[in-house]
Amino acid sequence: MNPCLNSIQIQAVADGEAGAAERAHVATCGACAARVARRRQQITEIEQTLNAPVAMPASLAERVDTALATGAAGATRLRPSSGGGRRRWIYSGFAVAVATLIAVLFIVPAVRKHDTTVSAAEILAKSANQLAAAPAANVERLVYELVLDGVPREIMPDHANGTGAYRVQEVIDHSVAGRYRLATYDPSGVELSSVAQDPATGRRVMTVRVDGQPYRFETTLPATQTLSVPEIERLHMQATVTLMQASGNQRVQVIDAPDGREYRIDVPRVSTATPAAVWDLMEAHLIVDASDFHVVELAVKGAFLKQPYSFSYKLLTHDVESPDSVPADTFDVPVEPGAIVIDAGEGSPVPAADAFQASLRELAKARQKR
Amino acid sequence: MEARELFEAHGAAIYRFAAVLLKHPQDAEDCVQETFLKLLRHLAAGGETTNIRGWLFTVAANAARDRQRGRARWIPWLPAHDREVPPAPLPDEDGRLARARAALAALAPRDRMLLTLRAQGLSYRDIASAAKIAPVSVGRLLARALDRWAAANEQRENSHEPVFEQYPDPGRR
Repeated sequence: MNPCLNSIQIQAVADGEAGAAERAHVATCGACAARVARRRQQITEIEQTLNAPVAMPASLAERVDTALATGAAGATRLRPSSGGGRRRWIYSGFAVAVATLIAVLFIVPAVRKHDTTVSAAEILAKSANQLAAAPAANVERLVYELVLDGVPREIMPDHANGTGAYRVQEVIDHSVAGRYRLATYDPSGVELSSVAQDPATGRRVMTVRVDGQPYRFETTLPATQTLSVPEIERLHMQATVTLMQASGNQRVQVIDAPDGREYRIDVPRVSTATPAAVWDLMEAHLIVDASDFHVVELAVKGAFLKQPYSFSYKLLTHDVESPDSVPADTFDVPVEPGAIVIDAGEGSPVPAADAFQASLRELAKARQKR
Repeated sequence: MEARELFEAHGAAIYRFAAVLLKHPQDAEDCVQETFLKLLRHLAAGGETTNIRGWLFTVAANAARDRQRGRARWIPWLPAHDREVPPAPLPDEDGRLARARAALAALAPRDRMLLTLRAQGLSYRDIASAAKIAPVSVGRLLARALDRWAAANEQRENSHEPVFEQYPDPGRR
């Protein structure tokens, strides 16, 4: 009789992977047969442990169904696996926090590159790179729709008359740092607020409408310029796209839109926000123009400091002009009839803070007069 | 078979496999989705379908490994993160299976992967492919993994350690 089998051979017999000689030995050796039986019993225990019925989450089945349907119909191309999953959504840092708190409006810069065969990751990278690049020295005019909810909506002074939906007009002169005008309108076309500043005149004007009454705050520009509102908006958008890049689950579709080809990137819904995350996005989609990768649409849901956070942005028009062709008063706000004008003195980097402090000063003055 | 049918046939097994390896429900779900999207492309490209089950486990194992590496790169991985998949209830009045599961959870990732693949009924060849090891090494590594599992299981049986500590109810944390 052959010598008894070693543990590897015993394992192979138990797994049905052994050769004829090993199997023959086990058939005639009680000790080895017992060892094989013991191995099989152990494997069975592990199988029972692992193969206990686990209800697959309904959300997963739905998610895979959608992914398969989308993938079958479109040009799905997964990013090469790079790991991280949900946790790579976690993103924190001063810039993001500041940008998220302040920035609720967005800018779409001019972009230039062209590529037609790219993955979701590449599209996001190109979009993020263009957002990070210095814009051309032209004047941009943008009109876009913005819908806010959660934290961004709450920090807006007007809440868009309770709807959270804004139409925004923005003009940015990239040839002069800090020169811009931005105005928001509610869905019925009523102007809600605006801010404009021009380093050439050293003035900033902010207007806001409260209970139908227009207010106008005028300040000088601070000696040291920090990030302008459009720059903060750009940072916010860039950070959002970076978060989308960090997801390993992007899907891309090619859309043949009336104005040309577009790419849509979806990052499907993930579970609830990570408690430790400063900013945790749970769902997002981005549409970019395929010709130059400028952002056409961006929608995000998530949490910021454990509070619900969502916005959606949709570009309506985007024009670029030479600075010479833009009238000088473009970066000013006309005085509205009936507006209460408040001289707020020297401005700070945060227009809303200036308006708030100026309002308190006016209140104090009014009380002292009584 | 189409990808959707294959998902119905193998999705639950792949999910269990990913959950055991990753111990995190969202990561496991991401892994499943990635696996079946790759299957879709594989089928569309006219890829080999004679051993689709082995192929699925190989792709899922790769996706799980990528995620494990990603965790290490991006965030400190706390023990608490390892305990987020609530286990399925076991028909286990004497706690034997619960101990077995706890012993399995305590194994090194490669041992856990090998035993999990074996428990799915995969051949040595498929296990080698999924675990990225040489086919001739599968038997030896499996035998050692099983020995380590058995030792851990026996130790738990003797120590009467409360097994639920390995898989606490997420709601209690």
